[in-house]
Amino acid sequence: MAEVPVKLEKGGSWVTSKIEIAKDGLMLKEPYNVQIPYKNIVDLQQRSQVDTLVVTGPDKTEKVYKVASVDKVLQVLNKKIIMACNAYRLMAHFMSPAIRGGVLVTNARWEKGAIAVLKTGIWFVSQEKLICVPLKEVASLELTKRELQGKKLDVVKVDHLEAGEVVTSFVLCPLSTLQVLYNFLRDATKEMDMKGSELDQLDAQTAQVAMLIYSGMDTKSIENMLNMSAKELDTIYDTLLKLKLVDVVMIRKEVQLTPKGVRYITDALKPPA
Amino acid sequence: MGRILIVDDTLFMRTLLKNILSAGGHEIVGEAEDGDIGVNKYRDLKPDLVTMDVVMPKMNGIEALKAIKALDANAKVIMCTAVGQEQMVKLAIKSGARGYIVKPFQAPKVLEEIGNVLGA
Repeated sequence: MAEVPVKLEKGGSWVTSKIEIAKDGLMLKEPYNVQIPYKNIVDLQQRSQVDTLVVTGPDKTEKVYKVASVDKVLQVLNKKIIMACNAYRLMAHFMSPAIRGGVLVTNARWEKGAIAVLKTGIWFVSQEKLICVPLKEVASLELTKRELQGKKLDVVKVDHLEAGEVVTSFVLCPLSTLQVLYNFLRDATKEMDMKGSELDQLDAQTAQVAMLIYSGMDTKSIENMLNMSAKELDTIYDTLLKLKLVDVVMIRKEVQLTPKGVRYITDALKPPA
Repeated sequence: MGRILIVDDTLFMRTLLKNILSAGGHEIVGEAEDGDIGVNKYRDLKPDLVTMDVVMPKMNGIEALKAIKALDANAKVIMCTAVGQEQMVKLAIKSGARGYIVKPFQAPKVLEEIGNVLGA
């Protein structure tokens, strides 16, 4: 049994405490003093150095515990939880990240480990890695083939967003399991699928604008590249907004000088007396 | 910052790369819409780096990469291809490519990769 130093959140404040990591569950010390069997943990989310544990009680109600600690401690704790909690779990090989922002990660390699699908995220666990992809950040899924040691093998390709970057990961396991994983993930992210009526609103120029946004181009660059007026681009942005394909991150102002502004500039340009 | 030659058969991709690379402080010394034109421009312009599309009519990117490496063994070429053609990576790396960009790509990562290859 190991004991790790943590901070536990209760009523909005953090209490310095400890967690005992046992074979069958966790013991959260002060201020909770509660025993949590791993099989009662139904979700785990990690944001920077804070874990959120969702635990189902005997009465089926869900309790949420927030745990903060250093990366090393959370890594140990989360590996233990992921491998034992109530989740769809399968042994698999994974490669994550394989592509980041469109650039191939040159030292990417297949890792032998497990994939666990929890309520809000997919976790990749191996001897060296622990990666969480929140389901709401999963952008696209594809059942495809990839060459490995001279053989073309079936893999699931997962594109997800990580701090604004598009990251591609691959999962490799027997096809029947892969199909189950793929179907589960498709279902969990189906609200992102485009309907036929939505696709009809995307003409070639709108698609080009979307592609340029993906590449990181700003409004002025897009106008210049596609030889488009601000008004035309605004109309395309409206279509993309309506389809929930983009979010507004900044509204830029177009201004003109007032008479006071004109006087200031005129005066500033006068030669010194 | 480097002098860069862009080889891609689509005007849209060439324009996009030109914008990204210029904004990153690089000089675009030339553009080519096919592999054989790219090889000729490489010979004439001697760029510091080439971004090379893989699938192009007439001469494809891998053949053009080999031709450029035959002209200059130290040539720095980054391959650029669509998703699903990653199996070309091994062939490209074996043929001397220094990096690989998968479309669609994001500007900061592309600039980082090009900076790494130019600095190597």
